[in-house]
Amino acid sequence: MSASLNKGVRVLKEMIDAPIASYFSSCVHCGICAEACLFYTETGDPKYTPIHKLEPMRRIYEQEYTLLGRLAKVVGLAKAVTDAELAEWQELVYNSCTLCGRCSVVCPVGNDIVYMVRKMREGMSAAGHSPEGIKGAVTRTINIGSPMGVKLPAVKAQMKHAEADYGVPIPLDQEGVEYLVTLSSMEIINFPEYLGAIAKIMRHVGKTWTLSSEAFEATNAGMQIGNSDLARVIVSRVVAGAEKLKVKTVISPECGHAYTALRWEGANLIGRPFTFKVQHIVEVLEEFRAAGLLKLEGMATDRLTFHDPCQLARRGGVIQPQRNLMKMVAKDFVEMPDAGFMNWCCGGGGGASSIEEGEELRLEAFKRKKRQLDAVKPDRLVTACANCRIVLEEGLEHYKMNLPVVGLTETIAEHIPDAE
Amino acid sequence: MTITNDKEFKAALAVLDNCTRRQATAYLIRQALDLTPDSRVRAGLDLAVRCDANEAELAVAAAGVNSARVASYTQCGHDANWTCQASHFVARAAQECVKPEISASGAWEAAMQARMARICQSIAAGEGTSNREAEAQYRALDDYLKAKGSAS
Repeated sequence: MSASLNKGVRVLKEMIDAPIASYFSSCVHCGICAEACLFYTETGDPKYTPIHKLEPMRRIYEQEYTLLGRLAKVVGLAKAVTDAELAEWQELVYNSCTLCGRCSVVCPVGNDIVYMVRKMREGMSAAGHSPEGIKGAVTRTINIGSPMGVKLPAVKAQMKHAEADYGVPIPLDQEGVEYLVTLSSMEIINFPEYLGAIAKIMRHVGKTWTLSSEAFEATNAGMQIGNSDLARVIVSRVVAGAEKLKVKTVISPECGHAYTALRWEGANLIGRPFTFKVQHIVEVLEEFRAAGLLKLEGMATDRLTFHDPCQLARRGGVIQPQRNLMKMVAKDFVEMPDAGFMNWCCGGGGGASSIEEGEELRLEAFKRKKRQLDAVKPDRLVTACANCRIVLEEGLEHYKMNLPVVGLTETIAEHIPDAE
Repeated sequence: MTITNDKEFKAALAVLDNCTRRQATAYLIRQALDLTPDSRVRAGLDLAVRCDANEAELAVAAAGVNSARVASYTQCGHDANWTCQASHFVARAAQECVKPEISASGAWEAAMQARMARICQSIAAGEGTSNREAEAQYRALDDYLKAKGSAS
């Protein structure tokens, strides 16, 4: 069925489950969520107040599921949600929300606003009001299996390149190994060194691993657009690949939403427990460190800081492992203000970076990150999300900040003794 | 000496002084200039082959090359255009050449980025993993070193 207002409103009604209803009914309109959202703090525009981004869905909730709202609707006092209104809200639900979750964790009544925005996106998508950039990613995911149109020959080319660069073989479709390594499209296209770094680290720690020709891609565009069916399809591909190869652990790449989709929502999406464990690459590296398997050499003497990807730190609870790893390689590791659980988003998560028309707003929001960085004046910025990395680089370039951005996995691999 | 593999290639780059290494690396990266339309990258490499380039000139060139590199990233969720991506990797390669000091590992890194650019071109052409840039780089470095040797 094609997208339409009727379909969108129907889906929004269906999305209003018990948590959503309780969230709307318990909102006290305090506005604290506004101060947690970088799109509000950096623009001062009240339309970017997170709970306001849900206003069309709140009205549907009121008119359909509350007594007074129903009465108002019966006597013609309720204002129905219109197509023009949903079109206007597209910017609020997609461009100015990165699903970073800061609003959710400051809400005094415990409303998970990210959960609500994702439900809202389901209705927006059904109504045809999702950004072209994200729609394109979804179409490519359905047709090709990758939101950025990456096919297996490209992955094989990158494998060959990484093998030559790092001098380490990269296994494909090896059955019975410990780890299945998945990649994000961003890593395949922009950061092939990630794959080489993984190969180098795995050899160093003596672990068996593989890529899968059927499940190399972990990026989940379904999560970003708000389409559970698609999110399920993408997760199912990884599950099928992992089960076929009988691996013990699937490693989620340096990609925020890939991790959330697979680690926290994957089993619910497919309706059964996984037969394997899911870990972010940072968690795996931390296990290697804790077990004494990472025997690194040399310490960076320049000043390093770490940008916590929202989905890893705030939504996923992985905060200390990256710091333990940083301290293995950095003599001068400094924390930005608000680092860790309350870190500010890069401004491009949740699909926002794929929305071209949202670029100006993203750069405005980046002023928050600029202030965080200005406070500690690092020489290098390390992160663990390929999307964060590019959004950060664009912001730094825009504000003429000469600050290299590097991935954590590559940074660790650089300190593995060359003799290997 | 004829370079036939990566080990010899790395060794040849490692023994060069800073200026010669920068010139040689820039010469290698120029082999891939057909893959980028960006004039900032070309200007950076033109400067890199000059031994008299001073730090201020290199800093200006580095800023231009960095802008070209950042601008040519493929954004998350965008359709991968491997031809454009080739341009990105040429810019990444050029970035190493406009640093005041280029280490042997930096020169190797630049060479690998140029090879990556050629891989992107082969992916765009549907040729998968075919990539002869390594051999082309061996020949180019050989030619450069021979020319340098006969000139000195």
